[in-house]
Amino acid sequence: MSAGRFARQSFLGTDSQERIARCTVGVAGGGGGGSHVIQQLAHIGFQRYVVYDGDVVEDSNLNRLVGAKTVDAAAETPKLHIAKMMIYGLQARARVQGFAGRWQDNPEPLRECRIVFGCVDSYQGRYELEVACRRYLMHYIDIGMDVHGENPPVIGGQIVLSSPGGPCMRCMGFLTDEKLAEEAARYGKAGARPQVVWPNGVLASTAVGLAVDLVTDWTRRPLTHEYLVYDGNTGEVKRSLTLRKFEFRGCPHFPDGEVGDPVAVEL
Amino acid sequence: MKVEIRLTGALHREILEDLARRHPFAAERVGFACGRVGSLVDRGILVLLNRYHSISDDQYLEDRTVGARIGRDAITWAMQAVYHGRPAHEGIFHVHLHDHRGATGMSPVDGREIPKLMPGFQSVGREAVHGMIILSRDHGAGWVWLPGHLEAVTAGRISVIGKPVGIFEQETGP
Repeated sequence: MSAGRFARQSFLGTDSQERIARCTVGVAGGGGGGSHVIQQLAHIGFQRYVVYDGDVVEDSNLNRLVGAKTVDAAAETPKLHIAKMMIYGLQARARVQGFAGRWQDNPEPLRECRIVFGCVDSYQGRYELEVACRRYLMHYIDIGMDVHGENPPVIGGQIVLSSPGGPCMRCMGFLTDEKLAEEAARYGKAGARPQVVWPNGVLASTAVGLAVDLVTDWTRRPLTHEYLVYDGNTGEVKRSLTLRKFEFRGCPHFPDGEVGDPVAVEL
Repeated sequence: MKVEIRLTGALHREILEDLARRHPFAAERVGFACGRVGSLVDRGILVLLNRYHSISDDQYLEDRTVGARIGRDAITWAMQAVYHGRPAHEGIFHVHLHDHRGATGMSPVDGREIPKLMPGFQSVGREAVHGMIILSRDHGAGWVWLPGHLEAVTAGRISVIGKPVGIFEQETGP
C-alpha cells in the first residue's frame, strides 16, 4: 500500500492508519445503510471485517445499494458478495469474514470486532446486537431511517453510539418497550419500508465518522455515547433532545459485571 | 489458541491511575482485575475484565528483592473473589504496571513470582480462567491459565474499548 494513499487523512494522527488497520469492524446488514458503511470503511483503510448479510440483490435494492449493478439483480448476487467486492477492490489485503446469514446463527466471529455497525431493520434486531456488544465489550453504532406521513412525507433517521460502560439505547431514549412491543405485535416484520440512497449516505457517513474518532481520537473530545437525529427534509443532523438534560448515573439495563458467555447456574 | 483480553476504556484508566500512584515504600503497585470468559471461533478465548480491586498501602510487605510484594490480606481478598465468582466462572488477574511507553513483557522476577499464585486461584475457581497482566503506559501483555492447565497461554492481544480504541498486539517472531 503506498504511503501517499492516505496522505490526505494524515491529520487523523501519526499512527492513525496502524490503528485503523488493527481494528476489526463488524457490519450486520449489507443493504442500503450497510453498503455505504462498508464502502467508507474500505476507503479509510480498515483491513479486518466481519460482515453478515443473507440476502441477494433484487431490483428494488438498486435505488440505494452501493456497489450493486443492474446485472446483480438479474443474477441474484448475494449482498455479501457485493460487500466483499467493495472491500477487496479498495483493500486487496483485507481480511473479510463474511457470512451469508444472520449474525445470531454464527455469533462468535462478531465477538472479534471492536466496533459493530448495526444496519438492520427492526428494533428487536438492534436490541439483540446491542446485547451482544455489551456482553463482549464492543462499541455499537446503530443507523436507521424511515419515511412516514404524506403531506409531505417526512424522512427521519438516527445514529446511535452505545459503548460498554456508557448509557445504552434505552438509557438514551431511543429504544423503548413501546417500540419493541409495537413491532412484536406486527410479528417483528418491518415490512417494505420506503428507503432512498441519500439519507442512508448521511447516516452511514456520520456513523463512520464516529467510528474513526473512536479509533484515532483525532478530535480529542470525550465520546462515551451519542444519539443523533437526522431530519431528511431539512438535511439537519442534531443531537437528540433526549440527551439535552441527560445525566448518566450508570446503566441499569446492562450492569458492568454482566459480560461473557452466559453461565447456567444449578438451582 | 487465540486468546484476547478485553476491557473498557474506563476500567483501563482506573487501573492505570491506581497503579501509577507512588507507594510509601514499594517500588511499584499491583492490583487484581476480575474477568469472565467469552468464546471465540476455533475454541478461542475472550477474557472480559469487568472490575478492578486496588490494594491498600498497608497490604504491601517490605521486600527490596522485588518491585512489590503483597501480604496475606491481599491474597485472601483475591482468593475470596475467586470463590465468590465461582457461579459465574469469574477468574482473577494479577495486574501491574511497567512505567514506560511501548510494548512490555515479563521481567525475570515477574516470571518467577507471579505464576506461583495461579495454582491457588485454580484450586478455588476450577472452571475459571486466571492470569496476569502487565501494562505499560500505552501497551500491555497478558498470560492466562486455562482451567486444568499448569502452563500459561500468551494473550495475542489486549483490547481497550474506549476512546481511542487500544489494541495491544503481541509481536510475533519471524
